[in-house]
Amino acid sequence: MHVNDGADAPYWNGLAEGRLLLPRCGGCGDWLWPAVSRCGACGSETVEWIERAMRGTIFSWTRTWHRFGFTESLDLPFVSVVATVDDCGVRLLGRLDDPQQVDPVIGEAIAGRIGATRVEGRDIPTIIWSRG
Amino acid sequence: MHPLYGTTAVAGIGMRQYKRGASPLPEQGVLAEAILAACADAGFDPAEVDGFVSYGDDKNEPVRLMPALGTRELKWSSVIWGGGGGGVAGAFGLAAAAILSGQAKAVIVFRALVEGSSGRLSAAVMAHHLNDHMLAAGLVAPAQVCAIRANRMYEHHGVPRSVAEDLVRASYYHGARNPEAVAYGSELDLDQMRNSRWIAEPFRLFDCSRENDGAAAFLMVSAERARDLKRPPIYLLGCANGAEKGWGDLLENDDEALYPTAGFRPIARRLYAETGLSPADIDVVQLYENFSAQGVASLIDHGFCTYENVAEVVRFENLIAPTGKLPVNTGGGNFAQGFIHGIGTAYEAVKQLRGESANPVAGAKICLLAGGPGAPTVSSAIFGNEIP
Repeated sequence: MHVNDGADAPYWNGLAEGRLLLPRCGGCGDWLWPAVSRCGACGSETVEWIERAMRGTIFSWTRTWHRFGFTESLDLPFVSVVATVDDCGVRLLGRLDDPQQVDPVIGEAIAGRIGATRVEGRDIPTIIWSRG
Repeated sequence: MHPLYGTTAVAGIGMRQYKRGASPLPEQGVLAEAILAACADAGFDPAEVDGFVSYGDDKNEPVRLMPALGTRELKWSSVIWGGGGGGVAGAFGLAAAAILSGQAKAVIVFRALVEGSSGRLSAAVMAHHLNDHMLAAGLVAPAQVCAIRANRMYEHHGVPRSVAEDLVRASYYHGARNPEAVAYGSELDLDQMRNSRWIAEPFRLFDCSRENDGAAAFLMVSAERARDLKRPPIYLLGCANGAEKGWGDLLENDDEALYPTAGFRPIARRLYAETGLSPADIDVVQLYENFSAQGVASLIDHGFCTYENVAEVVRFENLIAPTGKLPVNTGGGNFAQGFIHGIGTAYEAVKQLRGESANPVAGAKICLLAGGPGAPTVSSAIFGNEIP
């Protein structure tokens, strides 16, 4: 499993540079996520990587209490979210700051910053979201 | 009539099941025993089996089974793609495809799982799906991925959480009365269930299926041939496998309306259209429940209820045999019968239609086998002890 060799490589490279880049079809303008090499809607093979602000809303969430393998670097419990990014509708997986253990609410506004999750000795960049 | 309708049948079944980590044999040995048991059940020479089908990344390549079974010639060897249990029902359709197209005559559908041989199932399922997006979010287990979908179903679509508890209770009620179930003889303690530890919200321990060692095998032959064998044929009446646009391995970017479902809308549509049957014709349901909420979503997808009336239908009293109108998981299901990647639900489908279930549904003629919910590719099948 390598970070930077798939259709989503510009996404990972963007995070490494501190930017959220997401792919949009150069033909019809549809956002293409998960990243693909061809737009299934219009057939275009032109993919444009567009910067979006790290702002969004909570689409859904879970708070994990069980120590699953690969999560050893995260303090329990931790909250994972599916976040809908503003101005594109792409949903990203991420983590949510949860200092008070207040249950997230679907539709709640969140803002993100770039962080990383350490998994088996490797730091994988990710967006860590906070409320408000 | 659709070519699958009543043209093939399950002629024999065999199952071996143990506590996780307690199998007396390695995986391949347990599987061979289950296959031999299925053949003995049908009165069929195992050397004559010429095809094998599995699902869920089963590690037992059929050609390796030949020496133990005495197989004369292997003619069909295939799997349903997918790392989860989405393919369990589709495997029967694949076996039927082999038989009906003349590519094999006697096909074993199987799934085997022994922790000492192939490790924890949950880890194997996730190894199929894991990527850096998930790892970085701390989403590494089926329970978490299903939990996120469940929260959306409960919070956004208004499904009351109480229905999940009723489904869990029904599985344990049946399992407590099934001598072949891991939960046999022990009634579910409601307080223990409600106060069990959190796994991933909204799931507590009892919302999650267990894992067991074991194997199950089903001998499928043409309907005509099945009628000459030892046991009454259990006919395959229909089977559908797949995914529709807007559903699948999409990093949680499924179509918004499909997101909280279990993925069965196109499967149910095809299954009912191709069999001419409807939810009202289903006498009993064997429901793959990896997690409680996904079992509920599967019942909704298959047309037994809606987001609005789910609480009227998914009630404990309504789900238990013999009195409930929608008996579900009469063997105990994945929660309480045992979990060999869901193959036990198919086993109970056949037992129930033979009249051999520990929790019989009087006069049951048609059984829906609803496969692993929430998987990117899902499948379901309808079986009957007659061809209506």
